[in-house]
Amino acid sequence: MRVNHHWGVSNRREFFTRAGSGLAGIALASMLAEDGFAASADPLAPKPPQFPPKAKNVIWCFMEGGPSQVDLFDPKPELERLAGQPVPPSFHTDNLITAQGARPSDGLLPARRPFRQHGQSGLWVSEWLPNIAEMVDDIAVIRSCQSDAVNHVGGVCQMNTGTILAGRPSLGAWVMYGLGSARRDLPSFVVMQDDKEILGGVQNYSSGFLPATFQGTLFRQGDTPILNLKPPVGTTDAQERSKLDFLRQLNERFSRDKEDDTELDARTRSYELAYQMQSAAPEAVDLSQESDATKKLYGMDEPETSAYGSNCLLARRLVERGVRFVEVYSGSGSRWDAHSDLINNHTQNCRSMDKPVAGLLKDLKARGLLKDTLVVWGGEFGRTPFAQIGAGAPPERYGRDHNPWGFTMWMAGGGVKGGQTIGTTDEIGLRAVDEPHHVWDVHASILYLLGLDHLRVTYQHNGRAERPTVTGGKLIPKLWT
Amino acid sequence: MRYLSALLGVSLSAWVLFAAETHTFSPAQKNFWAFRPIAKPAVPAVKNPKAAANPIDAFILARLDAKNLQPNARADKLTLLRRATVDMTGLPPTPDEIQQFLNDHSSNAWDKVVDRLLASPAYGERWGRHWLDVARYADSNGFKADETRPNIWRYRDYVIKAFNDDKPYDRFVKEQIAGDELYPNDPEALVAMGFNRHWIDETNAAALYTRRQETLDDMTTVTGVAFLGLTFGCARCHDHKFDPILTKDYYRLQAFFANTSFGDGPLPLKDPAERQKYQEQKAAWEEKTKDIRAEMAKLVQPLRASKIESGIKTFEADVQQAILMDPAQRNPMQAMMYHTAEPRITFDEEPDARTLRGLKGENGKRYQELKKQLAAFDSIRPAPLPEGQFMIDLGPNAPPTYILHGGSLDARGDEVQPGFLSILDPADAKITPPAGVNSTGRRSALAAWLTDPKNPLPARVMVNRIWHYHFGRGIVATPGDFGLMGARPTHPELLDYLASYFVENGWSMKKLHRLILTSNVYQQSSAFNEVAAEADPDDNLMWRYQRHRMEAEAVRDSMLDVSGLLNPKMGGPGVFPPLPPGVVTGLSATAAAGGWRQEKDPSNINRRSVYIFVRRNLRYPMLQEFDSANTFESCDFRKNTVTAPQSLDLLNNDLIIDWAQNFAGRVLNDSGLTPEAQVDRAFRLAYGRAATPEEQKMAADFLARQMPMMQERLAGGDQAKPPMPANVPPGINPARAAAFVDLSQMLLDSNEFLYIN
Repeated sequence: MRVNHHWGVSNRREFFTRAGSGLAGIALASMLAEDGFAASADPLAPKPPQFPPKAKNVIWCFMEGGPSQVDLFDPKPELERLAGQPVPPSFHTDNLITAQGARPSDGLLPARRPFRQHGQSGLWVSEWLPNIAEMVDDIAVIRSCQSDAVNHVGGVCQMNTGTILAGRPSLGAWVMYGLGSARRDLPSFVVMQDDKEILGGVQNYSSGFLPATFQGTLFRQGDTPILNLKPPVGTTDAQERSKLDFLRQLNERFSRDKEDDTELDARTRSYELAYQMQSAAPEAVDLSQESDATKKLYGMDEPETSAYGSNCLLARRLVERGVRFVEVYSGSGSRWDAHSDLINNHTQNCRSMDKPVAGLLKDLKARGLLKDTLVVWGGEFGRTPFAQIGAGAPPERYGRDHNPWGFTMWMAGGGVKGGQTIGTTDEIGLRAVDEPHHVWDVHASILYLLGLDHLRVTYQHNGRAERPTVTGGKLIPKLWT
Repeated sequence: MRYLSALLGVSLSAWVLFAAETHTFSPAQKNFWAFRPIAKPAVPAVKNPKAAANPIDAFILARLDAKNLQPNARADKLTLLRRATVDMTGLPPTPDEIQQFLNDHSSNAWDKVVDRLLASPAYGERWGRHWLDVARYADSNGFKADETRPNIWRYRDYVIKAFNDDKPYDRFVKEQIAGDELYPNDPEALVAMGFNRHWIDETNAAALYTRRQETLDDMTTVTGVAFLGLTFGCARCHDHKFDPILTKDYYRLQAFFANTSFGDGPLPLKDPAERQKYQEQKAAWEEKTKDIRAEMAKLVQPLRASKIESGIKTFEADVQQAILMDPAQRNPMQAMMYHTAEPRITFDEEPDARTLRGLKGENGKRYQELKKQLAAFDSIRPAPLPEGQFMIDLGPNAPPTYILHGGSLDARGDEVQPGFLSILDPADAKITPPAGVNSTGRRSALAAWLTDPKNPLPARVMVNRIWHYHFGRGIVATPGDFGLMGARPTHPELLDYLASYFVENGWSMKKLHRLILTSNVYQQSSAFNEVAAEADPDDNLMWRYQRHRMEAEAVRDSMLDVSGLLNPKMGGPGVFPPLPPGVVTGLSATAAAGGWRQEKDPSNINRRSVYIFVRRNLRYPMLQEFDSANTFESCDFRKNTVTAPQSLDLLNNDLIIDWAQNFAGRVLNDSGLTPEAQVDRAFRLAYGRAATPEEQKMAADFLARQMPMMQERLAGGDQAKPPMPANVPPGINPARAAAFVDLSQMLLDSNEFLYIN
């Protein structure tokens, strides 16, 4: 039951109204006034940002498994010089614990492909990414990212939710909580996979302790991306419409003496929304409406790039239609995890991702969408500069272990100043040394670009005003200044 | 240490203050309502004593009187019966039950209903589910692998039975915290120890110290919130910012569990004579098969050795040492590490077929021969005992517990002993190792404190939970947070009265239910009252009953029930109703975990929702849609969302269509052929009442609209054919029958069905 003051939806409101007198009440009252998140009967109703935003939407190209920074965006000549040698003692690797036991003494491994400078800015990009290289002037490369996770499940979970343990809301859920949904007949937080299930599954796009409404929706392949989207086979629109009209009559009769209860009305309206979603969602995912030239731009005409390309194109169609937060996994199920044979692994993964991502940037730009759409690229961590040597493997089949101590992510569009690098790793690309940026900093900065202060997007849970950045987070102003 | 100070942003001297032995609490903290002793308040006088059916009403009326507000009148009998039946059983009343109550004009008609509901086995299924929320119950480990916990369902059944048996709450708590120590050889008490077996677990984690610490943190946090209503978890890294919970207290509470770990295995037989018989049979079988089993063990020894060799490499050096050392020399922490590592380096006495594939050639053949020989003794072998999953102490000596600064294993502070909240009792807990049990006795001391009537929290917390489930909101609106950041009680005297009543009545939950159900405040209507709403829009003073949507399980179970499909069978392993197409993708279908298997027995599909398998990474979509509990931590109250995906589910899910077909079939088969009688019957089953003339007309118009469309679909190809009612009786126009499915579905989807008024 929800009247003017309802209970059950917003803990925050409830705490305020029930906290009674005293300091707690005052503190909460001011928090309420500040953040403007006073409850509404409709948790997805659009809410104004806390300050003028630079971006409206986010498309996150998530390279699951951990792409190698020293092979893609962070060239290290020192690796050439010290090739095959143990990591020098000056790097203090005695207590380094690696996920699969690769040892710093196993020898440093130079980049497996040459780097070249590109664009006006002269940013360095590996030969593996010829298409993304064309777009460097739009891209800000952060070379000094850090995560707390040594393994994938924890890493993917932290990159999405802020902590390595499952159970917290993902960033997309926080964004929906903070901004609501611009479009009500489509889910506002969408996740797409191109291969297996994301490690850890739903915990990565969960609403955690926020209401379930904010959970991400995993789009399924094909023309029915949402569960239960299609009416039962054979149902005609007229039949469906007539059913809903009858339902509305039943509900209106029931509500006749209950007009103070807005929840009953909200539920009646939710059927209308569901009905609209039935046509809006299939339209949104209908790629046949796109021209051949557009499809080609995303590499949909080639078998290597068609899977990821069609997801990237889908992402563009969704943000175009007001979907706020889209995650597009490349190699979902940890395909970037090159413990062995990195050359083969990255050749294939770069091939499948490079053209689609570049196509996405070009397409967004051409349509004037890039200025409002923040594109984020990165994995849950990077890879070690020293080799992981499989038993009996020849050097060309060496891999690299996980590296959460210093890895690369990049951002483009949505107010981001392109053509720059931010932060540095040490001479071998093992650890971030200048301007290290924890996952929380990345999250705080994404929220900032969307017009949200990560310290003021809070939700009262188990006695704590929880926020997206858990206990940390500092902005990376270089991204936009 | 300098680093630590920098990290924590406090000066070292401030830090030392924190660590000081004695901590002084402010008078405000000591006098905070939740920490004050419970004193049974006098029942207040009210303006109109006749309006008070029992003391609960007096407490409510006194507050309303003070504001010159009137409570709502009693709800009509049908509304009341429906409200109480769903509340107590999670199912709607049957037409017979409704008729009986409507026709019963005796003065104790309502008491009879209350008695009947409390005696219904469905009560345990409904209220047990509430407790399972608090206990973060799940049938799987969580994390990537999310393996099945094959025997944890016994805990779910234990909870259901405990509610149905009206097990006194103090005993219920004792069994869940220290059943192994307090009631050894009682299989039920051991199953109850599953309460703390529900932590999320990454079984293939390489870092075992971290994994064990996460287990301890889970047990500490959940114990704090479930029984004490306090957010102990906040004190893991620093003294609680708002409540008088010191970091030290967090680790003092944790120390009760320092030697506690999983004890999965056979459950003892309850009857001593049977237990002895089993032991004798087992001994006899073991004696006769000694040589065969010894030879089998010798054959698999190389496999065992290689499993240890390959398994051991995955652990830290300390753990490897603990595994390889002489068991007698292990200290308690090393014993704990060995125990935690054990499942990954050993296998059963009788290994599974997959393991045995490693046994090649002659050895393999010989092993199979021996297996046959062993099978010859099956007739004298006692039937295997049922297996359980629960917690035990590993022995009488616990590893030390340290304060962990910032919650980090690397920042070890002072050692602490088991103890309670310093603000209530700063001394170390008195621990007496139990006689005849290989255990520390620590948790027995904790269980005694958690059920001590002098402890101001446990009784208050539980009566508030019960109130919360009856009314949708607790007297304290935050059932899991009785601290400063939680809500204050709207009726503190009532809370204390109920807590005292609870303890005085032997911690009986059913007696408390009866007191609540027979109060006028429970029976009042939910109608709007402008004057009262103006003065008290949130209904804090409880001038009306709060209308609310049924919870996830009640939605599904009520639909199954009305459709005549509900299988009332109780207990047993979790069941797997079908998933909507598209849910299972990639890993979840093929995981070693078992994913979501297809239910072999179709009747299991329609069991009550409390029996649906709870896979942490794949909550049953229909229940999740309607805000079922997140199983990763204790859930104090369900969210209440209104979303378009819920409506998509109710419109398009194949299961809903199936239920509507059965509902329609049930109506058409037992209401004769007049159209009005059919509509009437459908309304009676869904809403418990006849259709009004206005509704008869709405339904007639609707059926008339649908019939030509159905006619067209019936004439079309297979793809076009509409869903038909189950077992349509002869003589019914097929188009009308098909239209009736639509009508039935819309009744199930309507607010009058989904909301408790």
